[in-house]
Amino acid sequence: MDIVLEIKNLRTFFYTGEGVAKAVNGVGIKVGMGEILGIVGESGCGKSVTALSILRLVPYPGRIISGDILFDGINLLQIPMAQMRQVRGNRISMIFQEPMISLNPAFTVGEQLMEALRVHRKISKAEAREGAISMLKMVEIPDPERRIKEYPHQLSGGMRQRVMIGEAFLLDPEVIIADEPTTALDVTIQAQILDIVYKLTQQRRTAILLITHNLGLVAETAHRVVVMYAGKVVEEGPVEAIFENAGHPYTNGLMQSIPVLGQSRRQKMRKLYEIKGSVPSLFDLPMGCPFNPRCPSCKNICTKEEPPWCTLGPEHYLACWLFA
Amino acid sequence: MIKFIVKRILYILPTLFLVAFLVFFLVHLIPGDPALVMLGDEARPEAVKAIKEVLGLDKPLPIQFGLWIGKIVMGDFGISIHDNHPVLSSIADRFPVTLTLTSLATIFSILLALPCGIIAAMYQNSGKDYLFMGATILGVSIPGFWLGLMSLLIFSVYLGWLPSIGFVSIWEDFWQGLRYMLLPSITLGLYMAAVVARMTRSSMLEVLRLEYITHARGKGLTEWTVITKHALKNAFAPTLTTIGIQFGMLLGGAVVTETVFSLPGLGKYLVLAINDRDYPVVQGCILFIALIYMVINLAVDIFYSYFDPRIEYK
Amino acid sequence: MIGLGIIILNILVAVMAPWIVTHDPMKIDIRNRVSAPSGVFFFGTDDYGRDIFSRVIYGARISQYITILSVVVAAVLGVVIGAIAGYYGGWIDNVIMRVMDAIMSFPAILLAIGIMSVRGGDLYNVVIALGFVYIPRFARIIYGSVLSLKEKEFVEASLAMGNSDIIILFRHILPNCTAPLIVQATVSLAYAILAEAALSFLGLGAPPPTPSWGNILSDARNFMVDAPWMTVFPGIAITIAVMGYNLFGDALRDFLDPRLK
Repeated sequence: MDIVLEIKNLRTFFYTGEGVAKAVNGVGIKVGMGEILGIVGESGCGKSVTALSILRLVPYPGRIISGDILFDGINLLQIPMAQMRQVRGNRISMIFQEPMISLNPAFTVGEQLMEALRVHRKISKAEAREGAISMLKMVEIPDPERRIKEYPHQLSGGMRQRVMIGEAFLLDPEVIIADEPTTALDVTIQAQILDIVYKLTQQRRTAILLITHNLGLVAETAHRVVVMYAGKVVEEGPVEAIFENAGHPYTNGLMQSIPVLGQSRRQKMRKLYEIKGSVPSLFDLPMGCPFNPRCPSCKNICTKEEPPWCTLGPEHYLACWLFA
Repeated sequence: MIKFIVKRILYILPTLFLVAFLVFFLVHLIPGDPALVMLGDEARPEAVKAIKEVLGLDKPLPIQFGLWIGKIVMGDFGISIHDNHPVLSSIADRFPVTLTLTSLATIFSILLALPCGIIAAMYQNSGKDYLFMGATILGVSIPGFWLGLMSLLIFSVYLGWLPSIGFVSIWEDFWQGLRYMLLPSITLGLYMAAVVARMTRSSMLEVLRLEYITHARGKGLTEWTVITKHALKNAFAPTLTTIGIQFGMLLGGAVVTETVFSLPGLGKYLVLAINDRDYPVVQGCILFIALIYMVINLAVDIFYSYFDPRIEYK
Repeated sequence: MIGLGIIILNILVAVMAPWIVTHDPMKIDIRNRVSAPSGVFFFGTDDYGRDIFSRVIYGARISQYITILSVVVAAVLGVVIGAIAGYYGGWIDNVIMRVMDAIMSFPAILLAIGIMSVRGGDLYNVVIALGFVYIPRFARIIYGSVLSLKEKEFVEASLAMGNSDIIILFRHILPNCTAPLIVQATVSLAYAILAEAALSFLGLGAPPPTPSWGNILSDARNFMVDAPWMTVFPGIAITIAVMGYNLFGDALRDFLDPRLK
């Protein structure tokens, strides 16, 4: 499988009045062409910041401290801004979480889509308009000629998200980063959105970074999964391996905490599983493995040194002293 | 949209009526008998009585009010006691001066305030930002008339660059007129510039935090486009409201500025009229200014919708 | 925080005025008229030979007095009016708020000028004039808060317990408005100083020979060219005082606004 995007040892910290928050603390991720990679973890584990770092959109007071992001032979963290802008939206695009606030309320939907096109392609306004309309058709928005002239607040949440998805695919990028693309939507709309995304991906061999805390979503759509915790990757592997044969205690904890329908009565009486403890503050991470305060299998060495990267199976890796 | 405008205009009318009411009674409480003012203190009682009859000043106040309102609606603002000119035409003569002054001041202040506010927002918490904040606070604290006096002192008297007193209309001779109007406009506009600049900055700060700005950058737009097109359009709406309010306040500040620089505008006319107990003029002027102010507010409201399409006008 | 310091300094100066002044601010001394700043007369003297330094110090006292008093008047009346309008609603609400709108539709200075010309030049009239101008702003704040809060459950609960309207207004609703009220108060104080000075400058303020800052500047105008010190110092005094309130008000606003954290 060809690697289209590779993140190596990324560190992104936030310098705030209360101290330094190590949001992304040594993260390495590989994405193959046409692959759907799920990035999962609790809120605050660094998934979104990682995504923003790829496109160098990290807001103040955050800064990318070190690391490499390799894409098509170039290191995104080293190229000049002008070149970065050519990548944004064009070869790597991003879908943000809440469509309500991702579209500028002061401009019509059409204007924003056309702008996205004309930034990267030298085409006329009429051509851009055609492009926008055909994209709206592709994301199954009815009556696109009319919708083009409408403002974001005139569309429903589901439609806005579809517009965002359309915009992401508009320039035929090699990678699409989707940050919680369905969390803000109803379940039924979610399903529709996923179908559209899947369809488009199949057609174009686009790689997708699917960032979410919704494990069910990942199980259904992803090829591979990366599990993050407190700014680090703790496990990665093919989706079946992760769900059926996870190694890392944190991943296990996540899997067990998924409520399952249709169990027998006695099983239903059991309490919902929870991982004891809470996520550590990013200002004050524990020594050694960041999960050690909550880990049921914690050993002495876990509190002293960071765990090494170990192999559990084919293409299945994790960072844990249990497997060293 | 048209309905909205009509509705707003209708709303203004009762307020305007109320204003007229307040103005009338306020003015008529000014001590001093206008008849005496006109004829001089030594006038004979019969003459005073005769004048009062002619002008209707001996009728009970409510009737005077009714008559006045009636005339206003017809466009007759009365005759100045002082110089016997129709008030409305005197206002019409002087208003352009005030309007020019206020407009120039507004233009100056927007030109200064917007870029500064935007830059301060972009470089939040940097040295530039603190300088900006300091400058704006200073701008808001300096008394307008003192600024006028000091600038006259420095630029006219000591440096001799600009003329101090006098007036040439810019409609007749642009550059000469500008020379005369430059100091007063800047003096008048500085306060407004400071206020608008701060509003711009805080509005921009709020907008720049929002997700669609990050999204715009994510599309590959240059920072310049992101700021001027995406951020500014959204940030401008509250700034516009501030500009509108400030413009109204400028009308008041113009009074002082016109006095300092001896400009033949409406403000100075009003102050003189008050001192002269010239009722019709005072009433007419204040009513006129209040009307202008309301019109400006209405215009601001209408323009607001251009910048923020989310406002629904029912 | 600098602002607070300045304000306190100002108030101290105003209160301590009689002890700080080097000369009697009213004392006329024709021999020394219009003399430049010196060791004896720190800021120089005016056309009546009065020591400007002393006059400026006294001016602080007068200005603070006027402005604080007028803002207090405006606040108290404004709060009462706004509360009544908001709480009782109906036609009272309509009438009151329309009147407030009417008052606000004047540029503030003009209204103050108007009132002053009616009532004549007297210290307390200035207070009334300025106070009157500011009532609508305070009224609006309370009005908005009352409107939004009166539907909340704790008000109903309080009514059910038998509390009278006034108690509800004071105990429950007002405390929620203190933050914007205080901010508006500082803004008004800052503006009031400027307004008072402008009024005096136009001859419509405190009567001479009271050394209000605006008066001093008004006198200075005739001697601007020959004796610039007469213009410079009072102006600086005004600027610093206003800056004090503005800085303080700003810091307060930032402090109270949770969004800016």
